[in-house]
Amino acid sequence: MKRPALIVAMALIVISLFIVAYRIISLGYPLTPAKPDYVWTFRFDGVLHGTAKDSLLLLSLPSEQHGQIILEEGIESGSMSFNLLKEYDNRIGVWSGRPGPEGEYISYKASVLLQPTGAYTPVVPPRTSYPYGITTGEISLIEGLMAPWRVLNFSARLQVVLNLVKKHDFSGPQGNADLLRLGEVLRKYDNPTRLLVLLAAVNIPARTVEGLDLVEGVVGKTFSWVEVWTGQGWGHIDPERMEITSSKTGFLALSAGGMSAVRASAGELSAKRFELTRNVMSRWRVFFERASRSGSILDQWSLFRIPPEFQQTFRILLLVPLGALLITLLRNFVGFQTFGIFMPVLMALAFRNTGLFYGLAMFTAIVLIGYVARRGLNRMRLLLIPRMSVLVTLVIFCFIILALVGNKFGVRQFMAVGLLPFVILTMTIERFFVVVEEHGMRTAVETTLGSAAVSVITYLIIQWEVLQITFFVYPELLLLVMGLQILAGRYTGYRLSELIRFRSFRDGA
Amino acid sequence: MGMLRPFKGLSQAGVLGMNTRNADIIMALNPRSKFPLVDDKVATKELAALHNIPTPALYGVITKHGDIKHFHSITESRDSFAVKPARGSGGSGIVLVKERQGDILITQAGKSISTADLIYHITDILSGIFSLEGHDDSAIIEALIHPDDVFSSVAYRGVPDIRVVVYRGVPIMAMVRLPTAASDGKANLHGGAIGAGIDMKTGLTANAVHKSAIVSHHPDTGNPVGGIKVPYWEKILLMAARSLEMTGLGYVGADMVLDRDRGPLLLELNARPGLAIQMANRAGLLGRIRRVDRAPGDIFATPESRVDWAQQNI
Repeated sequence: MKRPALIVAMALIVISLFIVAYRIISLGYPLTPAKPDYVWTFRFDGVLHGTAKDSLLLLSLPSEQHGQIILEEGIESGSMSFNLLKEYDNRIGVWSGRPGPEGEYISYKASVLLQPTGAYTPVVPPRTSYPYGITTGEISLIEGLMAPWRVLNFSARLQVVLNLVKKHDFSGPQGNADLLRLGEVLRKYDNPTRLLVLLAAVNIPARTVEGLDLVEGVVGKTFSWVEVWTGQGWGHIDPERMEITSSKTGFLALSAGGMSAVRASAGELSAKRFELTRNVMSRWRVFFERASRSGSILDQWSLFRIPPEFQQTFRILLLVPLGALLITLLRNFVGFQTFGIFMPVLMALAFRNTGLFYGLAMFTAIVLIGYVARRGLNRMRLLLIPRMSVLVTLVIFCFIILALVGNKFGVRQFMAVGLLPFVILTMTIERFFVVVEEHGMRTAVETTLGSAAVSVITYLIIQWEVLQITFFVYPELLLLVMGLQILAGRYTGYRLSELIRFRSFRDGA
Repeated sequence: MGMLRPFKGLSQAGVLGMNTRNADIIMALNPRSKFPLVDDKVATKELAALHNIPTPALYGVITKHGDIKHFHSITESRDSFAVKPARGSGGSGIVLVKERQGDILITQAGKSISTADLIYHITDILSGIFSLEGHDDSAIIEALIHPDDVFSSVAYRGVPDIRVVVYRGVPIMAMVRLPTAASDGKANLHGGAIGAGIDMKTGLTANAVHKSAIVSHHPDTGNPVGGIKVPYWEKILLMAARSLEMTGLGYVGADMVLDRDRGPLLLELNARPGLAIQMANRAGLLGRIRRVDRAPGDIFATPESRVDWAQQNI
């Protein structure tokens, strides 16, 4: 008898926890979705001057190709027109037209969420290429000189190149004449170009990236660094120590592949500034942005994908089973008396519109009025259904009066009753009356207080945002709730209230 | 009484709690399909007749609103009768008429109501107000009980009734419910009636429970409730024990009355008998249930052998 319930409950709990664990471990879901996370606000401002009617300003914008999620963005372009261009991995905003006589104020703003390293990998692995401006003669010379290293494994090849550039020492342990010639060839280039050339010569894809340091503040210009393709993603090369650090965490990439992040043609840019600020954002919201772009089946079928106007309903609905579990606990473990199972839940839902204080006050007042009316109706000898109809009409009439009074005195809550409560109130009035008749006023008041207490607790639970978000991110927790409900259903021990009810036995025992 | 095991006292006393009753006893022994036999008093009456268990004489049944006109022909020749909802629970909706004065009817509790009021009450019954699930119901009109005088010193108006709890056909606990002024003549413990435990072997009453206190005297009449010998005790136990054969329900509360002329009559059977009987007897049902479960198999053969075993062993 007890076994199957236990097995089913345990299976439900295990399945639920398994899916949650899978989401957290494999899909990188947040363990505490309600906790805050960070979002960066990127802002560019500048004034474009020019007399030509086809002045151009090209600004590399944050892009998903750079592992950045753009939550929202906005532009200011004055009289100039704005277009978006794609250029390799870069997303470029193009302002074109004739700037005004005082110059045209141009600005761009975006909220950017950084993907964790490795979360984004390009479909096609990049190929090696030499930077622009290097001659084919130099290329064949360098490739010939680097040939001995090209057969090494990836990390050894990379290390050789990093060491060469870091020490800028081409004498080598061998004192090789070839190396000296290599040093000679590279002398005229700067460090980033040397890295690009040497990495290309040993078959390691690399690129220059232009962007900003990921720190809050305002800077006047961008800077560039070199990134190498490690097979899993782009690795940032620290220019000082010539070591690979994980990219993206410390930098905001704007333009990759050697393009300058800001370019102006037939015009001049002044008052140029880049601004970064860090904002707190709830982790689930951050996660929502991430999940809505993911290809995983669990993400595809996530509640985040349904239109936002319906999401709120499901956030509440997901917690109603928890309310039902709570009623089970309060009734079967503690021994609360309530009018049915659903009435407290429905009351709790109604309180969402009116608030707890006004909700309870209105509920009490209308039940009292209804009770008095119900006593009167009893003398009129009405049958059940028409009598209930009269009560419904009375309850709705009370709502109307409340709404008019609320409007007059500016009490919004009096008008926010919604559609559900009339059913609950009518049923409660009738049940209250029957309980008074059968078991006396005392029991009726106790049951009413029990119902009110349970609905207040349920209300507090369904309004608890942390819980709402957790269940919304992990709807499979419903299976856990169901498992607990089954376990609670198999509790056949005493109720706490029975300690009082049967107290004579305790004393005697 | 340790903090860690707050229920130890109750479980040692063998007290049956609400959760155990619902899950382990009722759900295990009372198949849902048999509930209609006891939820509808008309069905119970017919079944009882088949098993030679006496019940109050049935005058008539009103099953639909159109039949209400028959009320007059049913009650015309009677001065006293009882009106009950066929599916009522906890004694609600019952009107006991002890005499008529023209168009005015005097109830057992001494109130007077008009025939029109009573007919309105019957329409309420038909609309299902007193039924457990609010379904349409029918109204039973049956003979009014003329209670045996044995309890007249400890009953305030109304009719005392005897509740016997039967587990697997074995009567395991009994009490007599005595109406009080507070209970408005109804033998309903919720309503303020008092319940006196009955010794299974001897049929002697003991102290009573009133609300949740133990009382030795009736609150209205002031007479001692203990030490009264219940007449026809073995017959009562036997009628209760037959409920197993009658209904197939393994856990039943059999409600009976003692009629001055006809002796014990079965009023109704209850598939979800309450727990208050434990207080009236100052004994736990669970302890007795376990004793029945340990009893030798052959005692379950006939109602007589079960009653015999119960009287010897409980």
